Amino acid sequence: MAITQKQKILAAARKQAVDKLPFGARIDVWYNYHSGHDTLPEKYRGWNIPDILRDQGVGIELRHGYLWKVEYRDTEVVVREDPPFTTTEYRTPKGTVSMKTMFTPQEGPWVPYELELPFKSADDYPAIEHLLKNTVLVPYLDDYLKKVEMVGEDGMVICSAPEYSPMQEIMRKIMGYEMFFYELNDHPSKVEHLYELMKGVVWQKLKILAESPVEMPMVCGNWSDDIHTPVFRKYFVPWFQEVGEFLHSKGKLTLAHIDGEMKRLIPMFLETGIDVAEAWSPAPMTSVTTAELRKAWGDRVTVWGGVPAILFEPQYSDEEFDAYVKHLLQEIAPGYNFIVGMGDNLAFDGKIERVGRIAELIDKYGRLPIEV
Amino acid sequence: MFSYSTLIQAVVTGNHIKSVKLVNEALKEGVSPQDIVSSGLQAGMRIVGDKFSAGDFFVPEMLLAARAVTRATEVLQPLLSASDMPTLGRVVIGTVFGDIHDIGKNLVTMFLRGAGFEVFDLGVNIPADNFARAVKEYNPDILGLSALLTTTMSAMRDVIKALEMAELRSKVKVIVGGAPVTQHFAEHIGADGYGADGGNAIKLCRNLVGK
Repeated sequence: MAITQKQKILAAARKQAVDKLPFGARIDVWYNYHSGHDTLPEKYRGWNIPDILRDQGVGIELRHGYLWKVEYRDTEVVVREDPPFTTTEYRTPKGTVSMKTMFTPQEGPWVPYELELPFKSADDYPAIEHLLKNTVLVPYLDDYLKKVEMVGEDGMVICSAPEYSPMQEIMRKIMGYEMFFYELNDHPSKVEHLYELMKGVVWQKLKILAESPVEMPMVCGNWSDDIHTPVFRKYFVPWFQEVGEFLHSKGKLTLAHIDGEMKRLIPMFLETGIDVAEAWSPAPMTSVTTAELRKAWGDRVTVWGGVPAILFEPQYSDEEFDAYVKHLLQEIAPGYNFIVGMGDNLAFDGKIERVGRIAELIDKYGRLPIEV
Repeated sequence: MFSYSTLIQAVVTGNHIKSVKLVNEALKEGVSPQDIVSSGLQAGMRIVGDKFSAGDFFVPEMLLAARAVTRATEVLQPLLSASDMPTLGRVVIGTVFGDIHDIGKNLVTMFLRGAGFEVFDLGVNIPADNFARAVKEYNPDILGLSALLTTTMSAMRDVIKALEMAELRSKVKVIVGGAPVTQHFAEHIGADGYGADGGNAIKLCRNLVGK
């Protein structure tokens, strides 16, 4: 029986040999935008993402968010909806904090954008500490399992959970990038305390994951050099080592979504022990080429990605696109421990036919081992 | 006694409390606000920019340094009229229409202000015509356009078209940046420059204004 797309992707992730390069394509930005504007190509009107990718003859990379619902003890949560905006107020005995999000999936995004984060000033530490101490996660897998059924053996549902490491969670979801670095500089012990509390929350997520059927959870995402290298060394590396040990003991692989500029983080990635680096976005979208990445990591990390989103856009001709993909296949030769994918999505004005074109080029040039 | 080297050091180490204290000391000693800006604050940011380019500093160090300059400049602001403030040039900046991401734009704004540019930040989700109006109103040397999304980067092209329609294109240099933006894209839409990050934005703007 022929090996399935899912088996091929997982085999490459486990650093096992496969006969041909696996390809897991992600197109939700393109799909959401065109569904929202009623501009999907005639053929694909009414289709879902997995069926479009099946039609293109490629493996599926479908995203899913969380495997839990969040409850807060001893806290009144007030939600005000004013589409596309949502304001959430957390009224705790230690003070009130609020956040505001905007969600416009018809423009492409699959998650809400945070316009306003809970931490506004040092006065908010007590309320945030209360929230973290009283966060309870209740397992909820139904939506994930529906997506798994939809994809079947034709690809993978990548679960964005736990999404961020505890310090990145504070950076991205509690304080925001600029405020985080000001606070880490001005009030390091308070930030450290939040970090310890956040670890407890993220461990709840990991324990739910450990008992779930998720094969390859995303343990961290949205990396770029903006994550201060010394911060990464101190707070990220030891965390991933601990998480990796735990999840490996449960038979899981670990995956990081690395869709930003990675030049300075590349050497340190090896220390994390993470198995798969997904959404790899090489030059020209970042400053590092795939050849440079492979040279730095060798066979120690499976890379998923390699075709930057911008290449799918009309500013690049079909000939330039073909040349880029062929060059990528040369760069990764002999091609083991590599899953072709997008860095990190098909843009709204990207050409969907180019997704299928990658599959044709892999059929022609992507038999393993690739010979240069 | 006040020394420029101590103020420069405060900027380079991102110590905003010290930079404010030193500026107050300098003023008490009769040092001119213009000299404090050019020989102290801007000189410090130049070192920070060089360290970033050399790979010794990261974005957070730039952020802290820019804050040290901003806070110190707030002390000097009432003493300097707009025309007295030593400036490397004038920049109008904003995130293009349809895009509400502001981190990259805010960082570039802070870095440019710290380096000595006068920056007018229009905010996020700015229609092309509003950029053209702002160019007419502020007469900047440089117009900076930011986009984080592949869905919105094409709005940069619309801004350039709006400048052409308003016959303003030749009056301003247009620079672009943001995660999906590349040098190739910048050339493709007819921009004058592309900055990969905040540190590069300073260098790019300096080159464009010849300083």
